[in-house]
Amino acid sequence: MMVAEQLIDGRVIEACQQGDRAAFQLLFETYKDKVFSIAVYSSGGDPAVADDVTQQIFLKLFTAIRQFRGDSEFTTWLYRLVVNACLDERRRRRRLLPWGETVAMSNPSEKKPQEKQYARLEVAEAVRAAIGELKPKFRLPILLKYIEGLSYEEIASVMGCSKGTVASRLNRGHSQLAKRLSHLNNPAAWGE
Amino acid sequence: MFSKHVTKDISAYCHGELSNEESKQFAEHIIACAKCRAKFEEVKLGVKLAEQLPQLAAPNHLWRELEPLLEREHVEIRPARVSAWQLKAAAAVLVLLSAWGGWLIYSNRGNAILTVDGKPAWRVKRLDGAPKVGAERISNNGELAVGEWLETDGNSRAQIAVSSIGSVDIDENTRVRLLETQPTEHRLELARGKMSAHIWAPPRLFFVNTPSAVAADLGCAYTLEVDDQGSSLLRVTSGWVALELENRESIVPAGAACETRPSLGPGTPYFEDCAAGFKDALKKVDFDPDAAARSAALKAMLDQARSRDTLTLWHLLTRVEGEDRARVYDKMAALFPPPAGVTREGVLALNQQMLDAWHDAMETTWMGIWKGVPKPLAEAYWKTKNGLSRRLKDMAPK
Repeated sequence: MMVAEQLIDGRVIEACQQGDRAAFQLLFETYKDKVFSIAVYSSGGDPAVADDVTQQIFLKLFTAIRQFRGDSEFTTWLYRLVVNACLDERRRRRRLLPWGETVAMSNPSEKKPQEKQYARLEVAEAVRAAIGELKPKFRLPILLKYIEGLSYEEIASVMGCSKGTVASRLNRGHSQLAKRLSHLNNPAAWGE
Repeated sequence: MFSKHVTKDISAYCHGELSNEESKQFAEHIIACAKCRAKFEEVKLGVKLAEQLPQLAAPNHLWRELEPLLEREHVEIRPARVSAWQLKAAAAVLVLLSAWGGWLIYSNRGNAILTVDGKPAWRVKRLDGAPKVGAERISNNGELAVGEWLETDGNSRAQIAVSSIGSVDIDENTRVRLLETQPTEHRLELARGKMSAHIWAPPRLFFVNTPSAVAADLGCAYTLEVDDQGSSLLRVTSGWVALELENRESIVPAGAACETRPSLGPGTPYFEDCAAGFKDALKKVDFDPDAAARSAALKAMLDQARSRDTLTLWHLLTRVEGEDRARVYDKMAALFPPPAGVTREGVLALNQQMLDAWHDAMETTWMGIWKGVPKPLAEAYWKTKNGLSRRLKDMAPK
C-alpha cells in the first residue's frame, strides 16, 4: 500500500464520513486511475462499461463509507468493493455478451511510439486481451498485483482467501497467460 | 535436492515474497530439477507479460458525471470545509510521508528495496575507502538505484547485494551502473574495473553489460575485468557464464577464461591451465587482423592442444573456415572421437545438431569436478543442463 493512501486512511476518510466534498474529491483523485484500470481489464476493454463500473464503485464507496469502521485497512475495504463490482458486472454482462470480446481503446496519454515502443504497446494490448479471457479468480489477483501493487497478504485479505491460495492462483494465471501468448516468447515480438 | 518440488512457489519467488533462505533453496532446486525448471520458464514468461499491463488514466469527465449521481443518491455533500492552503499543506505532508514510506519500504523488504522517490535499488556496503554512488560518498551502507553509477577509486571497494539472488564485489578503480532490476532480469553495466559475482539464481536472470559483450549468468561465480579500451577478461570459478555479442557467443565453464574486444565481441574460451604457447596463439587467432598470422597461430595452437582444450577447439569450429576448420576437426577427432551420428562432413558444414551432440559428449571432460562421478549420472546432468541453456538462450531477449 502506498503511503499517500495511508494519509487518505487517516485524515480524509473521516471528512468523507462527515460529507466533506473536498475530501470526497481527494479520495476520488487518489484512487480513480487504479479503480478505472481494473474496471477496464475486467470489462474486456470496453471504455463505456469501465466508465459505468468506476462510477458505480465510487457511488457505492461514498454511500457506504460511513459504515467503514477501520476494522480493516481502507484499501482492503475499497478493493473488496472493486472486486465485487467487477464480478457483478461480469455476471450481468455474461448474459449479454460473449466473454473475451475486446474493444480497441486508445490511451490518451500515450505518445506516438517509436518502433520498440510500438512493439511493447502491441504486447501490452495482447496481454490486455488475454487477461480478459482469464477466469476472474485468476484475473483479479493479477490485476491487484500488477495494477494496485498489493502484496500477497493484502491480496489475500481483499479476496478473503489464504496467501497460499493467492500464490497458487497467480501461478495458474501466469501459466495461462504464457500459454495463450506463447507466440510473444521471442525478442522480435518485443521490438528487440 | 529432489525431495520437494517448488512449482507452487514460482510466482512468490518472482515477486520477492520468499525469504532469502527460501529464495536460495528455490534457486538451488530449480537448477537441479528439470520439471520445476520447465514450469519456472512458463511462469516467468507469464510474469514478464503481466508486467506490461499499464495503469490507465481515468477519463476527466468521471468526476463531473459522478457529482450529480451522488446528489441523486442522497449522499450528503457539504461544501469543502478545508481551504486551499490546507489542501496544499496536506499535499506537502503527502510528499514527506511518501519519503518516510520509501524509507519504511527500504528497511522492511530485505534486499528488494525502493529509494525514497520510488526507484528500485540494491543495497551497497562499503568494504574499503569511500566508494561513491553518483556524486555522494557512502559511509558504511548505501543504495544504488536504477540508472545510478557506483564508482571506486584506488583505495576503495564495495559490495552490492543483487536483489535476493547473490552479491557482487566491486574492486578498486571500478565504475558500474545498475541498469535494471526486475523479477525476471537483473542487469549491471561494468564500464571499467573489476567485479566478482556470486549468483545463486536460475540461469539467465543476472546479466552484466560491458563495452564489448554481455555476460549472462548460468548459475555461477566469476570475475569480470574491463580495461580503459573496453576490452574485458572473464574468469569463471564455478558454474558457467555465457559471453554474448550479437550472434557471437562463448560458453565459459569453471576454470576457463575468455577475452573480449570492442566491436569484435567475445573471443574463444580457454582453460587457464593450458600451455602458455596455446594461450598466446589463441589471442592471435581471435584478434589478429592478418589472416595469414591467424592461420599460422592456429597451427601452433593445434600442436599444443590437450584433450581438455577441445573446449577451445569446439568454439573455433564455427569461427574458422575452409582448411583451417578441417584441421580443427581432425585434431578434435584425435583428442576426443565424435559420438555416433556425428560425421566429418556434418561438422564441417556446421550442422548444429551434430555440433551440439559432440559438445555434450565432451562436456564431462571439461569439468574437473565430474571426475569419479559415474558416467551415466554425469551425462544425464549435462544433457539436462545443456538443453536448458539452449532453451533459455533461445528465449532470452537480445
